[in-house]
Amino acid sequence: MTLLGVAAKNVLRNKFRTGLTIFGAAIAILAFVLLRTVLTAWNVQIDHAAKDRIGTRHKVTFIMSLPKRYIDTVRGVDGVKEATWASWFGGKDPNDPQNFFASLAVEPETFLKVYDEISVTPDVKERWKTTKQGAVVGDVLARRMGLEVGDKFTMQSAIYPGDYAFEIVGIYTATAKSVDRSQFLFQWDFLNDSLPEKRRDQIGWIVSRIDEPTRSADISAAIDKIFDEKDVQTVTMSERAMNLSFMAMLSAILTALEVVSGIILGIMMMILGNTIAMSVRERTNEYGVLRAVGFLPKHVAMFILGEGLTIGVLAAILGLAISYPVVEKGMGRWLEENMGGMFPYFQIEVQTAALAAFLSILLAVVASLVPAYRASKLPVTQALRRVG
Amino acid sequence: MSTESSTPYRKEGPNAIVELRRVSKVFARDKEEVRVLDNLDLDIAEGAFEALMGPSGSGKSTLLNLIAGLDRPSSGTARVAGHDLGSMSDGQLAKFRSSTIGFIFQAYNLMPVLTALENVELPLLLTKLNGAERKKRSQTALRIVGLEERMGHYPRQLSGGQEQRVAIARAIVNDPQIIVADEPTGDLDRKSADEILTLMEKLNKEFKKTILMVTHDPQAAERATLTRKLDKGALR
Repeated sequence: MTLLGVAAKNVLRNKFRTGLTIFGAAIAILAFVLLRTVLTAWNVQIDHAAKDRIGTRHKVTFIMSLPKRYIDTVRGVDGVKEATWASWFGGKDPNDPQNFFASLAVEPETFLKVYDEISVTPDVKERWKTTKQGAVVGDVLARRMGLEVGDKFTMQSAIYPGDYAFEIVGIYTATAKSVDRSQFLFQWDFLNDSLPEKRRDQIGWIVSRIDEPTRSADISAAIDKIFDEKDVQTVTMSERAMNLSFMAMLSAILTALEVVSGIILGIMMMILGNTIAMSVRERTNEYGVLRAVGFLPKHVAMFILGEGLTIGVLAAILGLAISYPVVEKGMGRWLEENMGGMFPYFQIEVQTAALAAFLSILLAVVASLVPAYRASKLPVTQALRRVG
Repeated sequence: MSTESSTPYRKEGPNAIVELRRVSKVFARDKEEVRVLDNLDLDIAEGAFEALMGPSGSGKSTLLNLIAGLDRPSSGTARVAGHDLGSMSDGQLAKFRSSTIGFIFQAYNLMPVLTALENVELPLLLTKLNGAERKKRSQTALRIVGLEERMGHYPRQLSGGQEQRVAIARAIVNDPQIIVADEPTGDLDRKSADEILTLMEKLNKEFKKTILMVTHDPQAAERATLTRKLDKGALR
């Protein structure tokens, strides 16, 4: 028998109350892990942005398009290895208009070179290039919508009115977790040729692969300088900066999530503090006995902190045991399949799990500090007189 | 009961072990001072079994607490087992209590999550004894109180009398010179109370423990070799 062993045994004195406390703290850990995972998943596209990719868009806003001829100019800039372009199609399944997914008109050959983390077989690549109405979809979107190679699929777009019939020529997978696996990619030529003359030869944005990531700023400046004197000016930035600028629009939501995760921790500490304080108060008389037989105030404090530590460890274990199936198997899979654009990779990071476990233990110990201090400072004779 | 030389419980001859001189204890309650003990002189011989009686509020428990080193006198000197308690720090008093005093409480005050053996072993966690030695000592103490068959039982599995015997085993496991008992039979029926008092007599006579017992029960007091009466903070 050891002092810590006695403290651990004390935790199980009121099994129902301790069980509820641990369960409550575990639920708080689940909520914390979930929110932190939302934040990390949201940031995954920033954190995993390719360092050697830069994006060029209209200087005013993403929504405004660029002349297609700009791509040739960009390809001629010193340091640009390859450049491709994309246009946001905003397509929807007319049979299921609520089903959101990203649909982009791209140039297959260069798009797959610039985004080499999007993986297709050589057969698919060839078929896509040679099939004007061919489309390649992410594996997550294909699973969600039940699409298979050879299927015909019609989409409508609010940006480009009309019905657009596609043939699924392939399904792509990803070699990096930042890739949205629920995109619908099709030939830009098909879109362009379907448009009226005055809307043709416009592209959404240009993405370039550069030879030296450290020259990213210089190359970006060089590109923008070329178009400064043109009627459509551009702004070029690293992929990371581009993703960040997109995230900036959501900064209020992200800040709210940070605040809520902080509040959850506060609630968790109060739950633990309340239970430990109640438990200590009920046992004041016993602490008096311990002091009487020679235990010092530090021993009493150690007993109480030991109980807090045990509760914190058990809550961390249970909380993480609940979190993994709920976040990764349940919610994560649903988010990846239904909101892959925002959450291409919704998995609990090791750092998040470690932080949750650390905070659970730390907060349990901190919550025990005040009861431990009070109990250890109580005069022995006073503690012995107190019952319950 | 074993009285062989290997037993850790010592046997010594009678000598003065408690000496109180002009001891007063004053508590501040709200803005008023309450004098609970008033210039009290007391000598208790080593090996004595004394009962302390008196009405509620007479200062019995306060006197017991002072002798046990749980509290300090407001004035006067208290020498117990050669220690001047008034000049000792909290840490020194804790050490004094763990080595010199055994406590028996009215409500037994056992830890419900620990077995009888673990409850008895608890004070030994403060010593340098290893686990095996602690266990051996605890088993010996439980054997002395007649509970060797109940070592693995939890307090809820024991009767009130048995719980008090475990508490007595806990009180003697450190081989203290003095045992202080605050209403040790207060929560027990007559039969169990008699068993506890018989056990205390045994500890006094066979193991030469000095016992000071606070009680309201005249029958319990009769088992002591001397009964003192306290009233309004003074011995009568």
